[in-house]
Amino acid sequence: MAVNPDSHIPLYEQIVDHVCGLIAAGVYRSGEAVPSVRALAMELHVNPNTIQRAYQELERNGFVHTRKGLGVFVAVGGIGSAIRQTETTIFNRFVDGIDLGRKTKLGPARIETVFRRAMRAGKRSPGSGAKETRK
Amino acid sequence: MNDNQNAIEIVDLWKRFGKTSAVGDLSMRVEPGRVVGFLGPNGAGKTTTIKMLVGLLRADTGSVSVLGLDPFVDGLAVRQRTGYVPEKHALPRWMRVSDAISFCRTFYPTWDDKLCDDLVRLFALDLGKKVRVLSKGTQVKLSLLLALAHRPELLVLDEPMAGLDPLVREELVDGILQTVGNHPRTILFSSHTFADVQRLADEVAIIHEGRLLTQCSVEQLLTRTKRLRAVLADGATPDAAPEGTIWQRRNRREWLMTVREFSQDTLERVRNQNRLENIEVIDLSLEDIFKDFIRGQRSTPCT
Repeated sequence: MAVNPDSHIPLYEQIVDHVCGLIAAGVYRSGEAVPSVRALAMELHVNPNTIQRAYQELERNGFVHTRKGLGVFVAVGGIGSAIRQTETTIFNRFVDGIDLGRKTKLGPARIETVFRRAMRAGKRSPGSGAKETRK
Repeated sequence: MNDNQNAIEIVDLWKRFGKTSAVGDLSMRVEPGRVVGFLGPNGAGKTTTIKMLVGLLRADTGSVSVLGLDPFVDGLAVRQRTGYVPEKHALPRWMRVSDAISFCRTFYPTWDDKLCDDLVRLFALDLGKKVRVLSKGTQVKLSLLLALAHRPELLVLDEPMAGLDPLVREELVDGILQTVGNHPRTILFSSHTFADVQRLADEVAIIHEGRLLTQCSVEQLLTRTKRLRAVLADGATPDAAPEGTIWQRRNRREWLMTVREFSQDTLERVRNQNRLENIEVIDLSLEDIFKDFIRGQRSTPCT
């Protein structure tokens, strides 16, 4: 599921991340059209106003541009911006992990060990299959 | 309707049944083109308010204006421009689906046959079936079709999704989205299903005991309402909950508070004004936020 309507993250932010991810992954390349507001609203089962709001945000940050009456297109350099945006998302998840470690009074060295273990596991078997089960 | 007129305007509204006030001093407005989730615990006055909006009940005092008209005085005009799905569906049980459609069609000059056909297909309705043999989900679909097919300017839905499975709910959401997609349309819908509220609503209005607690965009509510979890230093008592605290609870050294309009300043103030071991900020889902608004009204503050 591309968006989670039960999450504490506003849907428009989730949609920005979703479209960014698609651009970063190369599903839509520079100059190509992304789904229309209406099409994406129907696909994700979300109010078109929310999609519109997400596209405005994407346009403001230079990922896409709207051509009146034609649709919404991936901007030149949109892929680079999308990759940087994805990096920010990853960065923030790391920060969340580090915060969690600090709250439970794990030292920086132990947090780093856990991080390296996750990196190795992720390389060995990509996807969430690499996740450890809770003990 | 002129552009800056509110689709719904409720001012100082009261409605009593005997000694009980169902709605007490309610004021709220809905701007044209907005989709508003109308939230409140059971018995908060949602259905009573909705019935006054569609002219089925008359206000004791205060005023209700729908599309610039008084729904109790100009009932027909309001109903022709409004789609309404009641909490309890009142379709004649002996009618076939096709009869129900042709029956309703005659009331609305703006009835759109093509949209009606599209919705029959989307909802996979069997035109030959009698209303009484339809499943609960299918009855709601028919009810929604009848409310949507005349392309109303305003759609009022009273718990349309209650008791339905997630697949039917998704079809109903799609039916609503398909019609709002073409023409921006004002929608007020009550619901206890927060996932549907997030999918559909631009903003939510939360009512409790017939009064409005807040009306705010979903985005703002999610990003600016946070729970603070403080651990008090030994022997310390909580001195000052920050401004905008909607609910708080203290349990031994743990002090929980939910704050609206949260900012880093809020955090600093709580840190400076109380003796704390530590404090953390917790994100809340729409459901958590709703519950804290209501629980905050029911409990007494702990300071």
